[in-house]
Amino acid sequence: MPSILFVMLKSPHENVNLELVDDLGKNSKKAALLFEDAVYYAVDKKNGKHLYEHVDEIYVMEDDLAARGFKSHAAGKFQSIDYDQAVDLIMEKYDRTVTI
Amino acid sequence: MAKTLLIHLRSGSMMNMDSNVTVKLARAALSKGYNVRIFGYGEGITVIKAGQEPKRFPNVGKELEELVQKGLVVVVCETCCAARGIHRGEEVNGTKIGSLTNHLSQFVAESDKMVTLAR
Repeated sequence: MPSILFVMLKSPHENVNLELVDDLGKNSKKAALLFEDAVYYAVDKKNGKHLYEHVDEIYVMEDDLAARGFKSHAAGKFQSIDYDQAVDLIMEKYDRTVTI
Repeated sequence: MAKTLLIHLRSGSMMNMDSNVTVKLARAALSKGYNVRIFGYGEGITVIKAGQEPKRFPNVGKELEELVQKGLVVVVCETCCAARGIHRGEEVNGTKIGSLTNHLSQFVAESDKMVTLAR
């Protein structure tokens, strides 16, 4: 099964079209990699749950959580990672990336 | 042969943190032995302007200059530069004003993975 890593940069409170994930990721393993204000998905239960309805895995940049005062707040299905791990996901673990 | 990562940056150096994410991803990928190329398009071309002096933010220009010494390749769109009044000779050392048709197409063809950072 092909796999797609969806790179997300924007806050859940901005215009983010998660339907794109379903459309582009049909018949694929799907994951989200959250940078910058997109890490707020990890601390906002309602939007976090909504994102999880669209992807199989969610990775959160620990640096960006810490910069916003939420160090170690990623819990449950949200996996906190560093840049080395982000490179592994992009280069080795997923077939391609799509930024939404 | 090492795999190649292409980062397509379309946000400006002072617009948001996309340029900082670009630098951090490039640094991590280089340290893991990958080849890394950055192509700047639209506002993303501003990262190669020499003489950036942000007072309270990371200096993306200096960081790129440092990473170029470690093998990073940075090219930006010539037309986008001309539109913003940035000309050859004003680039950070080691970076290049190139073209969409020559460089981006070549980078896409030669890269194993591509990440776009844009809004």
